[in-house]
Amino acid sequence: MKSLLFLVMICAALLSIGTTASADGYSPRVGSPHPDFTLPDIDTREPVSLSQFRGKKVLLIHFASW
Amino acid sequence: MPVWHEKTRELVRQGKLVLLAVIQEQHPQRCRLFAQWQKFDWPILHDPINLLGLGGVPVILALDEDGIVRSIRPKMDTFEADFIDRSFPSPESAPQAVVKPTVPDLSKLQERARQAGSAEGWRELADALVLWGGVDRINQALAAYTKAAQLAPNDGDTQFRLGVAYRMRFESPDRRANDFQAAVDHWTAARAVDPNQYIWRRRIEQYGPRLTKPYSFYDWVNTAKAEITARGETPIALAVEPSGAEFAYPEEDFAEDDSPAQSPDPKGRILRDIQGLMKTEVAVVPHRGLSPADRPGYTSPCDPTKNSRPIGTTSPGRWCSGSTRPKDGK
Repeated sequence: MKSLLFLVMICAALLSIGTTASADGYSPRVGSPHPDFTLPDIDTREPVSLSQFRGKKVLLIHFASW
Repeated sequence: MPVWHEKTRELVRQGKLVLLAVIQEQHPQRCRLFAQWQKFDWPILHDPINLLGLGGVPVILALDEDGIVRSIRPKMDTFEADFIDRSFPSPESAPQAVVKPTVPDLSKLQERARQAGSAEGWRELADALVLWGGVDRINQALAAYTKAAQLAPNDGDTQFRLGVAYRMRFESPDRRANDFQAAVDHWTAARAVDPNQYIWRRRIEQYGPRLTKPYSFYDWVNTAKAEITARGETPIALAVEPSGAEFAYPEEDFAEDDSPAQSPDPKGRILRDIQGLMKTEVAVVPHRGLSPADRPGYTSPCDPTKNSRPIGTTSPGRWCSGSTRPKDGK
């Protein structure tokens, strides 16, 4: 039983190590504010911030054409 | 995305919803072409360096009036009932709205990076130079990312963005001979930090061998151009046309070959580098542009008075044995 518990602990530790690098990025969570950002518009190259749409409901889509 | 575009068009027209997109892509014009093809009429922002640190795409988020995430991958059939028609409580300390976003002051960022001398400071400067300075300031961006990478060599974001910057210079008039390989090297270093980063992996696969490609990334481009032209419009011009690996489909069928392996040099006529004096590196290089010998004003480095001879019998004027290789040549 002890060895089984030890094995589970080792696996949990390995799993936590494996996800450390990914945890540095952004993972959206329901109920949390989305971090603000300012990026260039692809047409005008003018800066656009997420926060400038405050007061409106936003459907934010992160995607790629590939 | 086209399905969401259709679904929300009327809501956007009625002012009930803002559709905002961020594209994770090296080339903004390709996205502009895609948007023109699909008739997207909402703002699309360009994030070639994955500034937000997303683990992958697509990610679709419904944000309320205070910028709070209320749904991840909302269901299309209940979107109005679940999100548009619902009221959400405002937090007690909602951040103030930014009325007019501005481009960061690059000079101030540079001064701050110099004073702080930290990896974060140099990376922040480099990010701003890539996003707002473009190819005109790509050398400064590369220098800043390089300083960040020297201070924090295991930072995957810095390695990925350094690769993006090298690729940008590779496709600029200031292109250097090793830019493409440098981009691949830094993307590879980023993936070594986090092998599960989907966006980093896709950037390598975009230019990589077809064996590792899950699908053709840009096979839609020619279809899009044809359909836009058929509508009587002029397709958005691409600064960099997709080519080679970007069009390639994954190879799925392989001919079986059980014949015994044969040495390509059974008589040992090729000199072996037994002392490790030579090193070879493999890079997938797209065929594009002119070779040095085909460029106007090109002067062959071969000096006929020194008994040098062109390598390759059908292409006189390429670099020669006994002479210096052209600085920008292949």
